[in-house]
Amino acid sequence: MSEPVIRMEKIIKTYYAGKPNELEILHGIDLSVSEGEFVSIVGESGSGKSTLMNIIGVLDRQTDGVYYLEGQDVGQMTDEVRSAIRNRRIGFVFQNFNLLARASALKNVMVPLMYSVERVKNQKERAMEMLSMVGMEERASHRPNELSGGQKQRVAIARAMVNDPAIILADEPTGALDSKTGHMVMDIFHRLHEEQGKTIVLITHSQELAAETQRIVTLLDGEIVNDQKGGGR
Amino acid sequence: MLLENIREAVASIFANKMRSLLTMLGIIIGISSVIIITTIGGSIQSTLTATLNSLGGNTLSMYVEARYPEDDADWETWVYPEMDEEDYVTQEMVDGLIEMYPEEFTGIAASNWLGSGTIQDVADADHYANVSVNGITPEYLDYMKLGIHAGRSLTPEDDKGQKRVCVIADTMADYYFDGRDPIGEQVSVVSGDGNIWDFVVVGVYEYNQALFGRVDTSIPEKDRSTEMMIPLQTSFRLSGNERRGYDYFDLMLAPLADADQAMLDATDYFEALYADNEDFHIYAYNMQSDMEMINTVINVITVAVSGIAAISLIVGGVGVMNIMLVSITERTREIGVRMALGAKRRTIRLQFVIEAIVLCLIGGIIGILIGVGIGALLGQVAGFLIQSMYADYSSYIIMEVHPSATAILLSLFFSMLTGVFFGYYPANKASKMEVIDALRYE
Repeated sequence: MSEPVIRMEKIIKTYYAGKPNELEILHGIDLSVSEGEFVSIVGESGSGKSTLMNIIGVLDRQTDGVYYLEGQDVGQMTDEVRSAIRNRRIGFVFQNFNLLARASALKNVMVPLMYSVERVKNQKERAMEMLSMVGMEERASHRPNELSGGQKQRVAIARAMVNDPAIILADEPTGALDSKTGHMVMDIFHRLHEEQGKTIVLITHSQELAAETQRIVTLLDGEIVNDQKGGGR
Repeated sequence: MLLENIREAVASIFANKMRSLLTMLGIIIGISSVIIITTIGGSIQSTLTATLNSLGGNTLSMYVEARYPEDDADWETWVYPEMDEEDYVTQEMVDGLIEMYPEEFTGIAASNWLGSGTIQDVADADHYANVSVNGITPEYLDYMKLGIHAGRSLTPEDDKGQKRVCVIADTMADYYFDGRDPIGEQVSVVSGDGNIWDFVVVGVYEYNQALFGRVDTSIPEKDRSTEMMIPLQTSFRLSGNERRGYDYFDLMLAPLADADQAMLDATDYFEALYADNEDFHIYAYNMQSDMEMINTVINVITVAVSGIAAISLIVGGVGVMNIMLVSITERTREIGVRMALGAKRRTIRLQFVIEAIVLCLIGGIIGILIGVGIGALLGQVAGFLIQSMYADYSSYIIMEVHPSATAILLSLFFSMLTGVFFGYYPANKASKMEVIDALRYE
């Protein structure tokens, strides 16, 4: 069996370590995600799923345990390398979109290309390609405040995809959307998964959305209490 | 990437126009005051220089001056002594000086006004020309930058031989000789007090109205007087004054000569010659030294204003630092998003340093524009003040008002430096943020 995209062993995350108010959020998570999997992580608020996502996304560091991303030990990486990993290997989709307010949709999609270590040629064409993939090419010159929530999230997905990452990490991507647009966004994830074989990790508290994925990992109080196959579509 | 950074910086500065403008105010004031003062100072300096150069370049004025009493008590009985033949500076003395310091002095410019007169055509009462007859040294035409149009200039031989030759103005040649070649023609000047002077025309010089003062246009052109140049010694003989020396003359300095050194050398030379003269000695004066004094004053003012400008740049810079800190706090989330998308710490730092530099540079450019505008205006005013102070010489004054390129470049440089210096701390603070904290910042 080939090396999984994500391999976590006994991941522990503690806040205020060594202080009286020390708080352990994750109590030793073991998790592997193989290439091409569409996994959802579900759990109540405070179950630690966001903390886990931050560690998977190399936004935060674990207190203990090891995390291999594509076989590389993330814990050993310098800040520079971690930046490059976020830039090239991970595509983020946030609940609140996190688009740059002063930049057009196109510019927003181009941001990861701009921060790329290697000089990416034809940045505009590449970004336009991503926008048309999510059906937003006609809104390329619009700023975020001129777009609806669903459109913003589509731009954000285009931005997540622009550097062809190993995994897409979506943190409650439909949380700020009504259920109809939420389903539309989910359709895009399913398409990316089915057509391009992307590895997708979806964090949600919606059992309904989780049921659409291949695998459902349930977190409770910082521990994985259930890891089952999902229904898929 | 750098271009993108600059574009983003400009966008974020323009997103907060009022705030940015207020932030830039200190820099605008500092830079514009430096530009204003350097423009005025530079304009005064170059106006004086251009004017002096047009008046014959760098010269040393030499006077025969009485030895004033050293004791105050002697002043009451002292009278200015009469000048005798031996008190005048002779051509031989001057030649000796030029021979001794050929790399400093190129010649002597001296003139002696003989009188005004009329050249009358005996055949036609209505055909005449008014002239003002001046005795000059051979170098004088060169010194006045008057070119020879036809024939030749006056020579040392003309001078030594007290020859009856003259050089006339081209305007006079045109209307009096009416197209005929004036060279070799004899002219008779009837002076205002009845003397008749005969000269042979040997040359024609190009008349320069600016040099000889205003033209009275109410007089018909043929009645206007032009300068006729004759050898200096000839003028002395014709005036009945047999002296062969000067009580005042200008020494022409070589283009590269050091005026101060030349002044010392000339003074020493004449001090030695006049050591035995109880009544008189030679006093040297150089316009360049006056210029240097004015320059010194202007430089002192410039340095003082620059000091004030430096303080205002520092205050402005602190303002920039403050606003950058505010901006970074406001944009913490944006910083977090950028880091999540792969921006390295140094990329974030660069972005905010560039924003501070652009902010300061825009302030600097606005300051330069204001400074150039006001400076040019005040430079003109200063020019007019000079003109009205020296109304008699107003036609000689050549106004040159322009901003100093050095000051502009330095201003841009210091604006940038302010941006780097005061932008670095906030930018570094931004780059030190933890991505997860920045991303979660509310």
